[in-house]
Amino acid sequence: MGGGGQRTTRFSETLQRRALLLHNASTGMADIVSDASIMAALGRELTRAVQRQSVAASNLANLDTPGYRTKELQFADALDEQLSPATLTAHDPQHFGTASTVRDRAEVAEAANLPERRDGNNVQLDRELMGLSRAAADFSAAETILAAKFRLVRYAINEGR
Amino acid sequence: MSTLLSAINASASALDAQRARMEVAVSNLANADSTRSANGEPYRRREVVLETAAPDAAPGGGFQAHGVRVAAVLEDQAAFRRRYEPSHPDADAEGYVSEPNVDVPEEMVDMLGAARAYQANLTAIGLIRDTIQKALDLAK
Repeated sequence: MGGGGQRTTRFSETLQRRALLLHNASTGMADIVSDASIMAALGRELTRAVQRQSVAASNLANLDTPGYRTKELQFADALDEQLSPATLTAHDPQHFGTASTVRDRAEVAEAANLPERRDGNNVQLDRELMGLSRAAADFSAAETILAAKFRLVRYAINEGR
Repeated sequence: MSTLLSAINASASALDAQRARMEVAVSNLANADSTRSANGEPYRRREVVLETAAPDAAPGGGFQAHGVRVAAVLEDQAAFRRRYEPSHPDADAEGYVSEPNVDVPEEMVDMLGAARAYQANLTAIGLIRDTIQKALDLAK
């Protein structure tokens, strides 16, 4: 009785393992594709963080320029851009094309509702430094995940060695 | 990467501009009591005019950081201060000495502002440099 029980356990284990293998084999392709889209999203996040840093650096450089208006990236466009890969599949080269042109054209507008000084300048030192640090932190986060992804890919290429 | 480099250039241009502002404030302070200058008048207060430097056209249409530059250093045309001191060698016929139109507290405030802005831009350069370093680390 005991031996038969063991055999059944072993059999079910094998079944489970095979099911797992089959599962991996059937979703392996999908995993790679979703990895690619995650990497593309991380790449966009890096670009976005760099653009935000660049805008904040311009604002800081013009901290005392009379008449200078604070600039900022337009959020709606950034959001559209972030959402677009969810609706576009990565299989069509045309879709890749549209996504990258949107990314290259950063829409920068003047920030609204900021208190203005007498010389017409409305750059807020703390706001810009905060934006700069936040962009740097976002960049760092995306970079860390991207590096981890690259490590996984390298691991796969080297067959786990 | 070019965007990050343009950001560093913008911050560096601000360091230049703020240093110029600091130098002018210091020379105003140094000459707060100079009753003679090259043209015979007392020293006139100088003022830095900053303007936004239009960036070069971006290659990919992306945003390029806007730097800043010193557009001009102008002389303040406000009237000189007058002090009654007949014994002074530069006193006029009525015994008044014309003194520079420098307001010391104003210069101190300007200098503090310049120092603050310099510091802010130095911080910005440090953060952007870290970002560039992180981007390079991806290739490791």
